[in-house]
Amino acid sequence: MPDIETDSSEESVPFYPDHVGKEAKVVIGFTGLVLLIGLAGIFFSVGLGEPADPLNTPAHVKPEWYFLALYQLLKYISKTAGAVLPVIAVIVLTIWPFIDRKPDQSSKNYKRRAILVAITMLVLIIMTIWGEVS
Amino acid sequence: MKITFRRSYLIFILSALITLLVIFFAVTDQIQARATPKENKPSGSPSTNWSQVNDLFAKGAHMIAPSSFSAATLPPPEQDPCLHCHITGEDKGLWTPLVRWIFFGTAGLIFVFGIYRSSSVWVNRVPWKPLTRRTTEWVDSRYEISDPLSTFLSKPVPKFAQRWWYCLGGITAFLFIVQGITGIMLAFYYKPTPETAYSSIQFIETQVRFGSSIRMIHHWAANGMIIMCIGHMLRVFIMGAYKNPREFNWVSGMLLLLLTLGFGLTGYLLPWDQRAYWATTVATEIAGSIPVIGDLALVFARVGWDVAAQTLNRFYALHILVLPIATLGFMGAHFLMVRRVGIAKPL
Repeated sequence: MPDIETDSSEESVPFYPDHVGKEAKVVIGFTGLVLLIGLAGIFFSVGLGEPADPLNTPAHVKPEWYFLALYQLLKYISKTAGAVLPVIAVIVLTIWPFIDRKPDQSSKNYKRRAILVAITMLVLIIMTIWGEVS
Repeated sequence: MKITFRRSYLIFILSALITLLVIFFAVTDQIQARATPKENKPSGSPSTNWSQVNDLFAKGAHMIAPSSFSAATLPPPEQDPCLHCHITGEDKGLWTPLVRWIFFGTAGLIFVFGIYRSSSVWVNRVPWKPLTRRTTEWVDSRYEISDPLSTFLSKPVPKFAQRWWYCLGGITAFLFIVQGITGIMLAFYYKPTPETAYSSIQFIETQVRFGSSIRMIHHWAANGMIIMCIGHMLRVFIMGAYKNPREFNWVSGMLLLLLTLGFGLTGYLLPWDQRAYWATTVATEIAGSIPVIGDLALVFARVGWDVAAQTLNRFYALHILVLPIATLGFMGAHFLMVRRVGIAKPL
């Protein structure tokens, strides 16, 4: 199996206490952030709309922001395709390690994948913003 | 390998946590105290009407916070005054007994510990050992956990893994814990039926102590969890860390992302307002248009053909029971695999 061996001591730090201490700082920072959000919650509110009414469809129905890109896509393609596409995407992403099996030779592979990710994320973000404003 | 215990870490973490908590409670208490309208000011005649006071005591007024000591603000006798004042935060003396117990309790414990330590040294005629070492030795002599624990703790972490983009996954796990804690707090007050869901959220927002804070944290930590999850996956994808031997790390991570999105989907319905109701209708409609299994998926998600009371109940059960258990299982597997194989070395 490739690169499973432990690194030599110059290139690594002990898990405890060095690494745990560093992680503790991150945890304390994020705990502070969470408490700040809680503090903001005293002045502002997440908000609660009108009570649900199954007989009255509001004019603008929107899902959560992380489904907005898919929702926007659904307006322009058929419903069946819109339901099948994400399922296929998820399946392909899940088995991706078994599709892309060639070990990386150089950091050029990083760059290629970074460009792929950047394009995909850009498309998704544009779709999300488009779904938000439309 | 000996475990080096750095006391400064523990003291730093504890003091920072305590300071943050004290500041949080002090500030919020002040804000709440100032926000409460002063409606119980003594008014009218300066002389005490003793027959009225006797009447009040006969009604049980001494069970109610002193600030509401007037016949006009008395709650009806069938309402439990204690529940009322504790939940709404009208009882300003809520922290006093707690502080008293902590102060005198600590002093008492120090006193008892001093007596025990002196008498123990005097009786046994052996030097005193710190309590922490005694405890670890006591446990270790029975369960022998010191060796496996030190192998676990002393496993080296490569230096490249201390860059900030390696902590995105850890932050996701941290936010999951935050979600667990605040979710339990919300579940104490939430009622999953169409008649009561909306009003119970209103109750949380307006009546429960720090209720709006807890809901705000739950809301934003949920969004943060999805963002951190995606960030972590992008990092792993770009660096090719999913390749041999880490294929199943990626697969379990993918399942964890789906579970997180499932949390978002099921949790969004629970407030039972118009936005929640129609967003869920749209989302389940998408699932319903999958060929072959679409109708089955739709009926499974909605428990019927419409989003109704049964849907709310099912989403609630999924949100607080099924998804957390599944997430905990996959998270455990994910961490164990990362631990076993190690972090991928960048080129």
